[in-house]
This record gives sequence, structure tokens and C-alpha cells, in this order.
Amino acid sequence: MRRGFWPLAGWLYLGLLAVFSLLPMAWMLITSVKTQFAAIQFPPEWIPSHPTLDAYAELLSPGREIGRVFLRYLLNSLWVSTATTVLGVIVAVPAAYAFSRFRFPGRNLLFYGVLLRNMFPAVVFLMPLFIMMRFLGLVNTQLSLILTYLTFGLPLSIWLLKGFFDNIPIQLEQAARIDGASRFKAFLLVVMPLSSPGIIATAIYSFIQAWNEYVYALTFLNDDAKLTLPVGLQHFFTEYATNWPGLMAASFIMSVPVVAMFLVLQKYFVRALTDGAVKS
Amino acid sequence: MVRHRADYLYVAPAVLVMVLVIAYPVWFTFYLSMFSTPPNLALEDKIFVGLDNYARILGADSVHEASLNTLVWTVASTALAFVLGFGAALALNRPFRGRGLLRGILLVPYVISAVAAAYVWRWLLHSDLGVLSALAMATGLRSQPFNFLDNTDTVLASLIMVNVWKEFPFVMIMMLAGLQTVPDQLLRAAQVDGAGPWQRFWHITVPHLGNVSLVTVLLLLAANFNGFTIPWVMTGGGPAGASEIWITQIYQLAFGRIRFGLASAYSVILFAVMMTMGYFYVRALVGRDRAS
Repeated sequence: MRRGFWPLAGWLYLGLLAVFSLLPMAWMLITSVKTQFAAIQFPPEWIPSHPTLDAYAELLSPGREIGRVFLRYLLNSLWVSTATTVLGVIVAVPAAYAFSRFRFPGRNLLFYGVLLRNMFPAVVFLMPLFIMMRFLGLVNTQLSLILTYLTFGLPLSIWLLKGFFDNIPIQLEQAARIDGASRFKAFLLVVMPLSSPGIIATAIYSFIQAWNEYVYALTFLNDDAKLTLPVGLQHFFTEYATNWPGLMAASFIMSVPVVAMFLVLQKYFVRALTDGAVKS
Repeated sequence: MVRHRADYLYVAPAVLVMVLVIAYPVWFTFYLSMFSTPPNLALEDKIFVGLDNYARILGADSVHEASLNTLVWTVASTALAFVLGFGAALALNRPFRGRGLLRGILLVPYVISAVAAAYVWRWLLHSDLGVLSALAMATGLRSQPFNFLDNTDTVLASLIMVNVWKEFPFVMIMMLAGLQTVPDQLLRAAQVDGAGPWQRFWHITVPHLGNVSLVTVLLLLAANFNGFTIPWVMTGGGPAGASEIWITQIYQLAFGRIRFGLASAYSVILFAVMMTMGYFYVRALVGRDRAS
């Protein structure tokens, strides 16, 4: 069945869907290379007649007001996401290893508990966490975000990593142990190196999650200088006008690294994310 | 296998952190839901009110109005994302040149930050300057710009469209993985026996996708029920509450009006609905494990 109705319909469908998928990104890019004056023309210029990188230059120049603020948010986001990722890997790797290798009472219950976390609404956790953070003196600190992202990212990190560990034959470890290595040493010297692509993919996944997170950052931080990028974007709205080219350029800078990282590693994510759901 | 006490050490850090940040907040929300809290959040001044908060939430007109929106938002987003994503998976489930690239393009909405997506869609749907209006006018469908988000009749549908745009790729990758478990030999054997594409689809492909569909739909229902960023950034529940859903109301009650007690009771009600869904979710997963 090389030709015929179905393949053609499939192509048409995928084509329309691709346009739908890319339209927002495309318009983001087009608006970001316009001047404010050109951006608010209607009907709009489909292809900018005088493309300019002014919006980007402004965002990236520390001397300008808007650049100073944007670069600060960018650094804040980088710091929060990196710290979350590093701590997350340190905690999730041993746990995922245990879930993959050991049989202990409560193992299943615990694991479904881990998955159940997906069901709980973030907004509902906000109040108790806010009070807890206030009690700990952490409101309006980036540490509160790092701790929150860390814990909420753990279930999925453990789930992803367990999938990678499951694919490493246990015989390799057993061989190392027969040769006299302790369990920990076998883990460190045999399992870790073999699963490094999985660990990297998981790390990048948690980085992306932290980078994109909005609702906790919106609630826990109120000091302007401490905001992360997703919340900081609101600065492009003022009472009088919206700086659409600036907002779109900032959104573009925020989105591009994440989309690029995901696409490069999509093979790993897609496999890891779907493994559990289709194994039968 | 011999059990070692040390085995627990590997899991302990993760469990400890999760108990602290998941179990405690759940308990605290229940507790707080029975109190009236002062607006300065000085919790030592809270007043015990029993089930009063629940009665007030369940009796509020604004909550009733948001309930219908929540139902429409959750069910319509899930159904449309599922249909769109499943279609994409079916169309992608054959070898052709550029398949990887196309899959990558279709994954972009899923990866992009929800806030950036919400802003760019606000711009696309802008009442005076929006691209969608301009497209409709350029193709002669309309003579005036169309007001998507400031119109009580279209605002919820617009938000659902954006949400579907964000979520269909998730369905696509889940169903694509599911489709790869459908045995090729079976499909070919059926073809040899004279089964047409529709028959092969209904009698072989669909029955193989039961589990993965169930898991995907339940995950989507949960995600949509809890969906916050898109409605909050795009409309904040407006205009006139036309896009208000439970989650945005809870947030407004808690952090707009600082009524933690009332918002906690609202959250517990939401919990109850969630847990009912969660029960089916776990049962579906456990059932799948037993079958394997």
C-alpha cells in the first residue's frame, strides 16, 4: 500500500498539524525582529519589511534598563534550574537503582505513591508549602524554589532512571561482585558508567521542568530582583502599552535552548517516558 | 533474594523528602480547611469553624458557575488532544523520509514553556492586532477583527484550543509507542486474508492499544483538571468569570484574597475528585502489571 487514499490523507493531516504546531513559534520569531511601531500594525506585515535585532540587542545589553532586568532573570533561572538538576540527580539515582534492583516490602506501594504525585494539583500544595516556607524563613528566597522543584521532580526522575537501570543486565554487577567489589562499588563502577546517557537525559529533563516552572515561582518570590524568567516576562506589560517585540524576543531566548536540548535528546525522552505505559 | 537493611538507605533520601513535601501538605490542607484564617496569615489567630468553609464553597454561585467551566475545560481538552494526537501517531506510524524531523516539529508545543506559549497565544488572539483575526480577514472569512479572549462566548473555547495545542504531542508520543507494540505479522496476516484498512484498524490495532490509551487519557484528565498556567496567564478567569475554573478560583481565593481556610476547603473538595480519578489510575496500572 504505497499509494492511495490513506497515505495522502496522512500527509495532509500531518502538514496541517505541523503548521498549527509551528505557527506560534514562527510568529514569536517574526514579531521579535520588528520594531514596536511595525509590530502593532494591522493587518500585520507577514514578512517584516525592515527586520531588526534591536529587541535582542536591548535585552542582552546590561547598560539598558530592560537588559539589566532581563539578564538578572536569566541568571536567576539558570541558577535555580542548575541547582535543582544537580541535587535531583544525587537523590534520584540511588532511589531509582533501589527500585530497579531490590525487592523490599512496600516497594510497589511506594512506587505507585511516587506516580500518584502526578495526580496532585500544584496549586493545592501551594498554601501548605507557602506556610512551611514562611515558617522556615524561606519565602522570597530561591532556595524555596529549588527545594520544591527538587521534590516535585523526583517522582518522574526516579521513573525515568529506573527504566534505564532496568535495561542494564544484572549479570554485569554480579560478575563485579564475584570479583570482590562491594555492592556500592559495583554500582559506582559498573552501573553508573553504563547508564550515563540515561542520567544525562534525566538531568536535562529536570532542568527543563525547573526552567519552565511558573506557579511556584509566581507565589514564593515577590522581590523583583529574585524572579525567574517565566514570572519576569510580566515586566513587558505596562499600564500603557505592551512591548510585544521585547516580550516575543525574551520568550524566544527562553524557549530556544530548551527546545533544542529536547529535540537532540528526544529519542531518550520518548523511550523513557513511554516505556512504562506500553510494556505489557 | 536476601533482604538487606541497607537497601532502604538508597530510597531513604527520596522518601524523606517526599513525605515532608507531599504527605505533610496534604494533611495540613485538611487541617486548615476547618479554620477561618486571618488575612495577615498569623495562624495563631485562626478560628475553628468546623465544616463551615465546606458549606460556603459548596453553596457559592461562583463555584457552581466554575464547575461547568471546569468540566468542559477538562473533558474537551482531553478528548480533542487525544483525537488530534492519536491521529498524528497513526499518520507517523509508517516509515518515510523526514519522519524524525516531522515528529520533532510536532513535539515543539509540548516542550515550550507554558508561560511563553500563553503569551504568544495571547498575541495571536489579540482583539485588535491578532494574527488569527488578520488571517480570517485575509481569506475573506470575516470583515472585522475577531475578539477571542474578551468575549464570554469564545474565551473558554480559545483556551481549550491553546491547551490542546500544548498537549496533543504528549498523546502522539504515547500512542506512537503503543502502536509499535502491535504485531506486524498479525496485520499482514489479516491483509492476506482480505481485511481492509478499516477492519485491520478496528480489529487488530485498537484492541492492542487499550492499556496505553487508558493511561494516556487519565494522565491528561489529571493534567487538565490541574491546569493553571494557560488560563491564568491568558485571561485570569475573565472576562466576567467566563473562563474561571476551580484551580484559578482556588489560587485567587488563596493568594489574591488571602483566605487560606476557605481555599483549603475548596482544595480538599478538589482532592476528593482527584482521588477518585487517582483510584482508577492506580487500578489501571496495577491491572496492567498483573497482566504482564
